[in-house]
Amino acid sequence: MMLTLMKAQYFLWGGLPTPWKKGTSTHRRGGTSLGGKGSRIRLDTERVKFTRDSWVVMETSQERDPSWRVQYQMEMMRSLRHVNIDHLHVGWYQSTYYGSFVTRALLDSQFSYQHAIEESVVLIYDPIKTAQGSLSLKAYRLTPKLMEVCKEKDFSPEALKKANITFEYMFEEVPIVIKNSHLINVLMWELEKKSAVADKHELLSLASSNHLGKNLQLLMDRVDEMSQDIVKYNTYMRNTSKQQQQKHQYQQRRQQENMQRQSRGEPPLPEEDLSKLFKPPQPPARMDSLLIAGQINTYCQNIKEFTAQNLGKLFMAQALQEYNN
Amino acid sequence: MSRFFTTGSDSESESSLSGEELVTKPVGGNYGKQPLLLSEDEEDTKRVVRSAKDKRFEELTNLIRTIRNAMKIRDVTKCLEEFELLGKAYGKAKSIVDKEGVPRFYIRILADLEDYLNELWEDKEGKKKMNKNNAKALSTLRQKIRKYNRDFESHITSYKQNPEQSADEDAEKNEEDSEGSSDEDEDEDGVSAATFLKKKSEAPSGESRKFLKKMDDEDEDSEDSEDDEDWDTGSTSSDSDSEEEEGKQTALASRFLKKAPTTDEDKKAAEKKREDKAKKKHDRKSKRLDEEEEDNEGGEWERVRGGVPLVKEKPKMFAKGTEITHAVVIKKLNEILQARGKKGTDRAAQIELLQLLVQIAAENNLGEGVIVKIKFNIIASLYDYNPNLATYMKPEMWGKCLDCINELMDILFANPNIFVGENILEESENLHNADQPLRVRGCILTLVERMDEEFTKIMQNTDPHSQEYVEHLKDEAQVCAIIERVQRYLEEKGTTEEVCRIYLLRILHTYYKFDYKAHQRQLTPPEGSSKSEQDQAENEGEDSAVLMERLCKYIYAKDRTDRIRTCAILCHIYHHALHSRWYQARDLMLMSHLQDNIQHADPPVQILYNRTMVQLGICAFRQGLTKDAHNALLDIQSSGRAKELLGQGLLLRSLQERNQEQEKVERRRQVPFHLHINLELLECVYLVSAMLLEIPYMAAHESDARRRMISKQFHHQLRVGERQPLLGPPESMREHVVAASKAMKMGDWKTCHSFIINEKMNGKVWDLFPEADKVRTMLVRKIQEESLRTYLFTYSSVYDSISMETLSDMFELDLPTVHSIISKMIINEELMASLDQPTQTVVMHRTEPTAQQNLALQLAEKLGSLVENNERVFDHKQGTYGGYFRGECFRLLSSPGFWYPHSLSPGTPSTSFPSLSCRPEGRLPQKRGLHAPRWLPPAAISNGLLSSPLCLTPRLSNLEVLSHTSGIKSLFKVVMVDCLLPQRCVESIHLLIIFLSFYPHDRHKARMQR
Repeated sequence: MMLTLMKAQYFLWGGLPTPWKKGTSTHRRGGTSLGGKGSRIRLDTERVKFTRDSWVVMETSQERDPSWRVQYQMEMMRSLRHVNIDHLHVGWYQSTYYGSFVTRALLDSQFSYQHAIEESVVLIYDPIKTAQGSLSLKAYRLTPKLMEVCKEKDFSPEALKKANITFEYMFEEVPIVIKNSHLINVLMWELEKKSAVADKHELLSLASSNHLGKNLQLLMDRVDEMSQDIVKYNTYMRNTSKQQQQKHQYQQRRQQENMQRQSRGEPPLPEEDLSKLFKPPQPPARMDSLLIAGQINTYCQNIKEFTAQNLGKLFMAQALQEYNN
Repeated sequence: MSRFFTTGSDSESESSLSGEELVTKPVGGNYGKQPLLLSEDEEDTKRVVRSAKDKRFEELTNLIRTIRNAMKIRDVTKCLEEFELLGKAYGKAKSIVDKEGVPRFYIRILADLEDYLNELWEDKEGKKKMNKNNAKALSTLRQKIRKYNRDFESHITSYKQNPEQSADEDAEKNEEDSEGSSDEDEDEDGVSAATFLKKKSEAPSGESRKFLKKMDDEDEDSEDSEDDEDWDTGSTSSDSDSEEEEGKQTALASRFLKKAPTTDEDKKAAEKKREDKAKKKHDRKSKRLDEEEEDNEGGEWERVRGGVPLVKEKPKMFAKGTEITHAVVIKKLNEILQARGKKGTDRAAQIELLQLLVQIAAENNLGEGVIVKIKFNIIASLYDYNPNLATYMKPEMWGKCLDCINELMDILFANPNIFVGENILEESENLHNADQPLRVRGCILTLVERMDEEFTKIMQNTDPHSQEYVEHLKDEAQVCAIIERVQRYLEEKGTTEEVCRIYLLRILHTYYKFDYKAHQRQLTPPEGSSKSEQDQAENEGEDSAVLMERLCKYIYAKDRTDRIRTCAILCHIYHHALHSRWYQARDLMLMSHLQDNIQHADPPVQILYNRTMVQLGICAFRQGLTKDAHNALLDIQSSGRAKELLGQGLLLRSLQERNQEQEKVERRRQVPFHLHINLELLECVYLVSAMLLEIPYMAAHESDARRRMISKQFHHQLRVGERQPLLGPPESMREHVVAASKAMKMGDWKTCHSFIINEKMNGKVWDLFPEADKVRTMLVRKIQEESLRTYLFTYSSVYDSISMETLSDMFELDLPTVHSIISKMIINEELMASLDQPTQTVVMHRTEPTAQQNLALQLAEKLGSLVENNERVFDHKQGTYGGYFRGECFRLLSSPGFWYPHSLSPGTPSTSFPSLSCRPEGRLPQKRGLHAPRWLPPAAISNGLLSSPLCLTPRLSNLEVLSHTSGIKSLFKVVMVDCLLPQRCVESIHLLIIFLSFYPHDRHKARMQR
């Protein structure tokens, strides 16, 4: 499956009125209200070569009036049909910074989308990176495995183990191909010629440690959460094993007593419901830790990417300095 | 029941309590107890039998009356309340009702009430107008009464069938009502009592008759009994027979007639009668002359109090012609004293009597002993004048008291042969025998202590912002003078214990006063004889410091009660602190070890302790010892209850936390206003010293994850300041400090200075100090120094080197000071730099980790703990505790020094760290890498990566590190497969390692070693 974005349309439909731009908490963290808009994407599946215009809705947890949104959506669809464009609601998008998108909210809504429309994707858009010069747009889907788990709604450790799911296989990335119309391409070429030289060297800027710092901070937060989660899990494990022991002891004692009674010719003690006596402790939901792990994974990837690039830059800078000296 | 017989006397309550059946007063016993109250007793004896029935039914009728009133004014809520009470009262009267049948009036009210309620219920309009409470009450009451009336259905129907009779009764009822009320005003006269007696005698006969009747006509008997009950205080039992009715009417008429002429004459007659009775009683009793007289007298002024219009005569003490001797006077004194503390004793009169007695004694030349004795008692009764502890003396009383004590002291000083003491027994007193030294029982010290307490109470209860307070405060000098006199007296005659006590009193009146004279003297050294006479006179008084020293030392040496010594020490410290003798004050505080056991002391001492600590802190601040000041004030300020802890006012708290009683006690503990320590000054001193400590500290530990706050309260203020959406120019003291802190954070000492010291702050705070200018100059200097430190902490990473001259210009400090400050910072390892002497510059080492490096360090720590936790899970799975690689690879993480490239190179033992001795000069970076290269954009300079002493030379070792970590990575994998920890964490560790390799390890190691 491949996602083809028609850039022209992306731009055409990209801008929505500002109130829509306020969004999830991730937006606030960055402090800017960049991003957070609906866009139209074109979806190509490899096998069946069909293209359709699709409508991506932005999801926010604190939507003021959902009915208004639905109405707007419906109206938009109708308008699209009027101008004779294929229309289908195939997903939604979220804009975040530093790739912190692996959250429970995203999982839930993507699940509901994917459950309703199988081809649904979520687009993750990073306005900061985009502002820095490299368009950051990624499309994700839930893996079939995760879909299964989510359908079951059972996030106990055993269920997850049985489903054989790990953080690495929660989301699958769908490659994005951006196609522009020829006219746009021509325009781009022309613009590129006109642009100043300085703009091109933006990528060589060394002053981007802020990014790294932010990333580290976020990573640290997640690691903290992870630690707590593990501690929780640990106590759970300890409790279960303790209980198991107690249960075992209890059974043994019972057995001994029954043996004694038998030897004395008395009737054995009645069977008791052990599960009532020893209620197994509530297992902690592991989905959160899975998500955190996934998030950490993303951060790590980000950092790796970034450091790899920047190390290169540093070496280059040093070489240059030596050369200058 | 007592309504009709109230006399307004004290005995009334007593009788109503015991007045169930028989109220005949035990005459003899009562007499002994209350020799001054006569008339009332007499009447009480007259009170006779009242049956339980009467009492209960009266209760019911009273309630019914209120219900009817409430009905009239449509107050349903009131109706409901009273109805409930009525139900209860009826329940109480149940036993009687069982015997007598349901009273008629009760049925009537039930029926009426129901009708009334129904009427209200129907009246939709009215209901709408009714307020909510009433409407609610209406519905509940309606339901209640319906339910209730079911039990009385038969009675009510019978009542309804025969309403005219009830109408009759209504009329009577009204009459009765009016009569009842008129009864009240003429209750003193014997008439009502007489009628009552008559009624009572008649009542039983009526009842018996009625019983007979009951046999005859069944249908009417209930009414009969009701009538009877209704007229319990009324006359004969009213039957339905007209004849009976008439009889009653006439009786009533006669009563009204009788009542009409009751005027003052009657009253007088009653009065006379009473007095006669009293006389008679006395005759029965012992007939000692003086006693009788006294009783008479007591009776007299008791009556005055009762409101009978009699001209107040001057009380006569002795019968005419009695020879006034010591014995007589003493006896008289004892008599007066016996009444002391008794209920109903007029205290004012007692004082008057005593004063009269003194006069008589003086007139008759009975000697000083007697006068002293009586004076003691006068003062004591002056103190007794107020019945409870909370109220304070009236000014005139207070004046009298002071005069009296002064007179007493005069006598005592004039007659050194009088011995006064509380341990002199009453029997061994020698009041008149002039040959031997006179001995009088009584304790002057206690009197003075009590006086002091009274003074405190007066001050507590006066509005501190009124002229009155100033007036009262003027008495303080007098109080002090008295204390001084007593002190002189006791120094001659008293025991050490007494001396200690009076010394403490003196100390308590001295310690809080700033000795301006001594201060002046200090400022202007003596110029020999050039001083004017007046000055000399002014300076005559002992220096308060010397005085305190002398008194306290005596107490330290002689006192055996801990409390006095503790108080003395605290006061001494306070006094030292107040006069800026910081070291003496501090040493005394530390030597006393009071901090350890002050929590066992009683609250007033604790308050004194708090005051002392605060004063100590303020003193430290004045000396420029901000740290000491902060420490001293920290406890009291962090609680947020400084006001309460210093006893300068109660905090508004919910009533659950303390009840009325506690509040009273706390109120009594308050320190009078003139002793208060200004709370704003206190807070300002605290905040400013916190600012001077905290701001440089914050700058130094900007990126330290585990940095602790020095002062929570200061941080709180900062946060409050940050939260402000709009920052105007500062208004309050706190805002000033916050604004100053912000300026200081930037190293801008001038702005900081202008915020801390300006007109407003001077007026609010600084001028409160005795030596305001000195404090201000100290403060400026402190601000300059701390700003310099902050500046260096904050901006040292920007500088390669900085000239000390520039710094001294910037902060307007002289060069040696700057030099010393920087040297201190270097020695304390706060600033990674070295001094270059010839050029007078500070050369930065740039060894502090950058923000990113710090973050990476923190991350490493966190990852370490994460892995440890993870390992535990793994242990659990394995069932073995202490995993096979625990603490090996992960210790690597927790000690960043290990990551240092050269120690990681294979073959180098990890312990071979370069020794610390070569720091700091020895560790100057050999090669200064990339910082601020010419061709980079300026933005890059502040970049963390570049501004660190980054040299990319350990390139190879970086790679080594990377390869080394792959081993760890595999270890990680083992652990992580199980519990989903991302292996990719490890990859971020690569990055860490790279950073840490840039990071100078020795500093970190030094930290670890510390």
